[in-house]
Amino acid sequence: MKKLDRLGWAEGIGVSAFGVHLGVRVSVAGVLPQVLPLLPPGCRKSRKATVQRLYSLLVARGGQRAGVRRMHILFADSERIARDPELDEVLAALETDLHRYVAEAAPDMTFLHAGVVGWQGRAILLPGRSLSGKTTLVREMLRLGATYYSDEFAVVDDSGKVHPFARPLGIREDSTYVQTKYTAETLGAISGVKPLPLGAVVMCKYRAGARWKPAPLSHGQGALELMANSIAVRDRPQHTLRRIHKLMRSGVFVQGTRGEACESAESILNSLSVGIRQEKE
Amino acid sequence: MKEREYPRARLDCLTREFGDEILVYDRERNVGHCLNSTAAAAWKLCDGEKSTSEVAKLLTQQLSAPVDESVVQLAIEELSKARLLVEGEKPVRRTSRREAIRAIGIAGAIALPLVTSLVAPTPARAASCLANGKPCVSNAQCCSGRCGVTSGHCGG
Repeated sequence: MKKLDRLGWAEGIGVSAFGVHLGVRVSVAGVLPQVLPLLPPGCRKSRKATVQRLYSLLVARGGQRAGVRRMHILFADSERIARDPELDEVLAALETDLHRYVAEAAPDMTFLHAGVVGWQGRAILLPGRSLSGKTTLVREMLRLGATYYSDEFAVVDDSGKVHPFARPLGIREDSTYVQTKYTAETLGAISGVKPLPLGAVVMCKYRAGARWKPAPLSHGQGALELMANSIAVRDRPQHTLRRIHKLMRSGVFVQGTRGEACESAESILNSLSVGIRQEKE
Repeated sequence: MKEREYPRARLDCLTREFGDEILVYDRERNVGHCLNSTAAAAWKLCDGEKSTSEVAKLLTQQLSAPVDESVVQLAIEELSKARLLVEGEKPVRRTSRREAIRAIGIAGAIALPLVTSLVAPTPARAASCLANGKPCVSNAQCCSGRCGVTSGHCGG
């Protein structure tokens, strides 16, 4: 770390997100503005002298020459986490690590890997591993009028409410797994601000041509599924279980296999509307 | 010291009750288990002092429905497979699910004991994966499951 510190750093920023203090410094002036949009949603500038994790981005100087590959290198504290001739690739690695670290280290929140939308004042959670189609379903629900909360993390506070983590949606448009970013606003939706109580947890798998016929999931099974999608359960199992328990005081839990997102998205939203109406009556 | 003969639930796990089900988190192995109502009730009664027939009698009272010893045997087998009992006790006697179903009857008033287990993810596994060619530091980060050691990129 001392060796890194001795290098010349042109500019840097300290931020705080969900109670986690982070620092980013870059070796070339003018690169920092490219870093700012990658910071976790809801973060604020912080003047704290010490940070929990310091990112150092060494930007390669000069143009590319034949036979010489100039690499941009990213360190998290003293560990090298990315090295690539394309600055955009290294910046993408910075964004991924920043978000994951906040999810792992946030002291007062539990992060679950799930897509989240708001619907009639309730949160719909779509937990699932990568490539399970969370973002596709979220995008479809936004088209139907839902409010955007996240395509990556459900952020649960100590009272069991779900907060937004409204980063741009990362939509994979072909089989290469490469994501293109869209803000909710460019998709014609709005991003939520207010923490919401849980409305429904929907566990779904995609199978081409399948009809959406969800089956109820018991609370215990639902809690197990949420546990298996929580970021910090290994480090803080007690906190995680407590927050999952609080989150699950309200809401319904269903699972099923879905075909095209448009059919299942509409059905999920309609079911929740009916549930809310019945609850009010 | 008298050698323990009866099944005993591990006390070093974290637990949360969800209705009559229990979510158990095994911190040693980083595995979560969901015990359905019958498995949960049996697990609570496994204190190393009660025989399976005693557990069956107590379950009959608690669940207000007849619980055969073979159902308790099956519960203990499920719990043992999930490593939720203290090891080194008397070996668990094998009971078939069919035997337990026969004992409960087709329209049984209680559910067959069931333990569902899922491994807790590492933070890298729990987050979205990276496409081939993206910079990485561990296999868990990559959609392909492969982070090249020399290249430092997903896919090798």
